[in-house]
Amino acid sequence: MVSYAVSHKAYVKIFLHAAKHPHRLVNGVLIGESSSGVVDIQDVIPLLHHWTSLSPMMEIGLDLAKGYAESLDLSLVGYYQASERTDDTALAPVGERVAQQIRNQFDDAIAFVIDGDALGSGGVALIPYLPQSGAGATPWRLRSFDPPAFTPGSQITLVNPASPSHAVALVRDNRLHDKFGDFDDHLEDVTIDWLSNKACTIPSV
Amino acid sequence: MSVHSALEELAKYRVQNRRASQEVFEKGTSVLQKNGHSKMGDEVWDFLEQLALAAIDVGRLDVADQCLRRLSDKFPQSPRVDCLAGIRLEASEPPETALKYYSELLEADPTNVAVWKRRISVLRRMGQTEEAISELSQYLDTFYTDIEGWLELADIYARCNQYDYSLQALSHTLLLAPQNPVYVLQSAETAYTAGDLPLSLKMFLMVVDMTDGDETEFLAESTPLGITVRAWYGVKLCARRMSENPRVVTASASDASPPKHLGLLDELATERLRVAYSSAGQKGDIAQGRGIVFSWVASP
Repeated sequence: MVSYAVSHKAYVKIFLHAAKHPHRLVNGVLIGESSSGVVDIQDVIPLLHHWTSLSPMMEIGLDLAKGYAESLDLSLVGYYQASERTDDTALAPVGERVAQQIRNQFDDAIAFVIDGDALGSGGVALIPYLPQSGAGATPWRLRSFDPPAFTPGSQITLVNPASPSHAVALVRDNRLHDKFGDFDDHLEDVTIDWLSNKACTIPSV
Repeated sequence: MSVHSALEELAKYRVQNRRASQEVFEKGTSVLQKNGHSKMGDEVWDFLEQLALAAIDVGRLDVADQCLRRLSDKFPQSPRVDCLAGIRLEASEPPETALKYYSELLEADPTNVAVWKRRISVLRRMGQTEEAISELSQYLDTFYTDIEGWLELADIYARCNQYDYSLQALSHTLLLAPQNPVYVLQSAETAYTAGDLPLSLKMFLMVVDMTDGDETEFLAESTPLGITVRAWYGVKLCARRMSENPRVVTASASDASPPKHLGLLDELATERLRVAYSSAGQKGDIAQGRGIVFSWVASP
């Protein structure tokens, strides 16, 4: 069975994206690589926070994100989204479509929905979704893992267990999310660095 | 930040109808602490309403309650304060309680527009989409000029993949506010998602027409900025899809006529995007991701 490791940078950036738009649905893609049965989720590229049910800019953003990932010898390995309501942890229809598209090019693609309730508490706020086994565009299901995701020994882990608490601190104390930009922001101002968000320095831990 | 500048910022947010709740909360509470609100005259009531909403958003219900108390003391039985009280209720009670509260208010006063809209948004939040759509449609039958209502309806439809209905809702915003390029852009993107590429292309071009500099500038000399860049991306995407798949050119649900010079439009969009990414921005910054964009526009 394939395992997944979420890097510190990836976790924090997802958190920053959600924190910047607390009352909206936000989404983006995960980039990384696969080796020896582990999918290394190294970074994320944030896409939209606006008109998230409409496809043209999503398609363009995906294409550009893919081009960028390939320039780093990485692939698109998954999708993430945060809903507007803290109690909504379903993978939206648009999310399923995008996740499936990524899966068509990367066999072990995974999707994460942000757990709005866990976000502020400093716990791990990612809920994993994987497609049901079997061929065809089957619905992506919340997968329960044994041991549960993000607990010791699980298939899905954080590279750094301190990522959630660090993410909270970076938002609360440094307001780092103010400097974060996604593709929607970039479309209004092409000088915004949505692909790497270099201005958001995430101190390593 | 001084009380005076904080108040200016807050007034600006009210005019722009911005929801920046964290900033509003911080500035608003600092004004309260420094007793700035006592010198505000009649504006203080707008300020308290704004702060109450922001406080609810950031989870400080205690501050919201303080503001609400002052407002209801000053304006007893005001429909506007009733609505705010409803929003406060939504923050801590189950949605059914808020729904009941709004229904009672509406029975007493069916013209309370704000409360009707709150009721619809609670229905939506509860997942009762069909009922939300039915009530919103009824609402818009009565209050046709409420653009926010039409946009909400378009959004509800888009979320359930009913893009044709979404487009129909947006068409009313175009009638009500024909000068607003954002509604045209949203319609273009919705038409694309609905599969009507000729219509989508037409509308993206309309956005360019409405927003690309003034008429005295020659196209070749101007740099596309902001919403125009997004529109050119849309033109390029449509042109590409239409040349990849000629069938979509004629399959327009709205009977939009196919473009006569698709190849030329594609070239123009490519050139405009290259210019947008080649020039220094207004602050002299460089465009990001230029190499990636250039390869994207060049690929067949």
